[in-house]
Amino acid sequence: MIYLDNFRGTMVAPEVWEAMRIAAIDKYAVPAAFTQCGTGAAELIERAQNRLAAGIGASQNEVVFTGSATEAINIALLGSTRAQAIDKPEIVTSEIEYPATLAVYKALEKEGYTAHYIKVDGEGRYDLDQLSFVLNEHTAMVSLMGVNHMIGTIEPLARAGNIIADASQRVGRKIPYHVDFASALQTQRLDVDTVKADLVSFSSNKIHGPKGVGALYVRKGTKIHPITFGSESYSPLMPGTPNTMGIAGFDKAIELLYATFDRDVEHMRSLVNRLATGIQEHIPHILLNGPEGAERAASHLCYSFLFIEGEAIMMFLDMDEIVVDTGSACAAATLKPNYILIAIGRNHEQAHGSIRFTLSRYNTEADIDTALAKLVPIVERLRAQSTIRPPAQ
Amino acid sequence: MAIKYTAKVIEHFKSPHNIGVIENADACATEGSPACGDEITVYLKIDKATDRIEDVKFQSYGCASNIATGSIITDLAKGKTIDEAEAITWKQAADELGGLPPVKMHCSVLAVDGLRSAIRKYKKEVKGIDYDSTLDVKTVTEELKHVLWPPVGVDIITLQMVKYIGIDQGAVRVEVSIGSDEKFLDPTISEIVEHVGKIRGVKSVNVENV
Repeated sequence: MIYLDNFRGTMVAPEVWEAMRIAAIDKYAVPAAFTQCGTGAAELIERAQNRLAAGIGASQNEVVFTGSATEAINIALLGSTRAQAIDKPEIVTSEIEYPATLAVYKALEKEGYTAHYIKVDGEGRYDLDQLSFVLNEHTAMVSLMGVNHMIGTIEPLARAGNIIADASQRVGRKIPYHVDFASALQTQRLDVDTVKADLVSFSSNKIHGPKGVGALYVRKGTKIHPITFGSESYSPLMPGTPNTMGIAGFDKAIELLYATFDRDVEHMRSLVNRLATGIQEHIPHILLNGPEGAERAASHLCYSFLFIEGEAIMMFLDMDEIVVDTGSACAAATLKPNYILIAIGRNHEQAHGSIRFTLSRYNTEADIDTALAKLVPIVERLRAQSTIRPPAQ
Repeated sequence: MAIKYTAKVIEHFKSPHNIGVIENADACATEGSPACGDEITVYLKIDKATDRIEDVKFQSYGCASNIATGSIITDLAKGKTIDEAEAITWKQAADELGGLPPVKMHCSVLAVDGLRSAIRKYKKEVKGIDYDSTLDVKTVTEELKHVLWPPVGVDIITLQMVKYIGIDQGAVRVEVSIGSDEKFLDPTISEIVEHVGKIRGVKSVNVENV
């Protein structure tokens, strides 16, 4: 199988699996103080906290492990907004965020918050003027993402952080800034101080760690309430027994990530360029969704193949054991075209023909060449069958 | 929830029967629209003495189930008289494929609509039988039976989701009752507009979720 859908979830690295196996056998005790087995499990979690903290310029006790990035986002957004008493509270995000963020914002809107969804340009970059414009004394939260999960746009987090810091100064209160870094961790370095983030969400399963683990960075001093309740022996924000085995796997995945980070990003960049060049050379009538080159994450490539529909392309590739994703309405459980492609100005038809390739460090040149060799005749064949044709030259 | 196609759907998607164009077709009709996600064109070659469909072909802009339903309805129609072919239902087409996921049942409706439109065009142009009915509540109701509620694949009339149909000099107002949180609200409203909009005499369609 050639797996080019790594945003959906990555293969667990063999070393990660081994770390999880050892944790399952040796560290099965509930993390606790004083007993040897309890402290052994607690130390495992502390090591993982330290590892992630070191990667992002934070301290160990600013990292809490969660059950997923979605859970981290929920804790960050609900927990932080509920911890503030603001008259007529307003919350700010963009129209192209990950569904977890947008779903929490919809829930907060029902609770009476006024939400602002900032626009993006044709390549998915945030309109920072609009961000600056909407921040005021009522703003209770800003949530933005590092890399757009559909089109790979690298977002200007640090510039947004400066705008939020300026606004905070203006209103005389820290406006909390949450960053969803789930789809960015694989290819982008992060320093929480440079970005001026107060809360950052991470996912293990996007970096060859296991599913069922995420993490939340909470800057020291950030007001936040728990959203679930129970035994607080591990963390007040994540009551209950922590997933020691999953955290051991996430720890190993972070270690592997940073061990070869630059080399892996360069490798993915070279593969993604090879794929883009091949598509441009062999397939006419295409649109690149997202920016060209270095402004797009090395892991992402999203094209619209005009005059045909994406689910059909995806299924033909799947039959050849090549796994990709599409923004077509036909493949969506809601029958709606991908909202990110609509937000960058694509029409429904262009969104229907979109295919997203997301790479990992485990992909090879041979993967790309095989995928291309299969993709070209599939597109030609579906176009030959289609009711719509390119306009006559 | 795993949404899967049957082996028969996959077979017809991979190797669709009757794909292509009939030059000098006796009738041809297109249904759906690329903006709505799928479109099908059906071409018919008909023996004028017997009214039997000698050849039928289709083209498809759409997903796997759109291609597979186009393939199966052309198989079903070939060799039949135009009246027999016109009586093929979308349920029949879906059953022939071993079933479709509820969210994909609309593909079967579209394929059957494409076939029926081509037959009715032939009947009108060659045989002088005008099928276009007058614009009234009954016609709109009949047309709305082609709009399926995706979670269950059953039409919105049967599900009693249509609360009111009003017609005033070509302006049609359809009131439906769909929860405002429903994720299928927008695509269903688009489909109502598309279906009602093609009835002769309709100048505008206004859908309200009440």
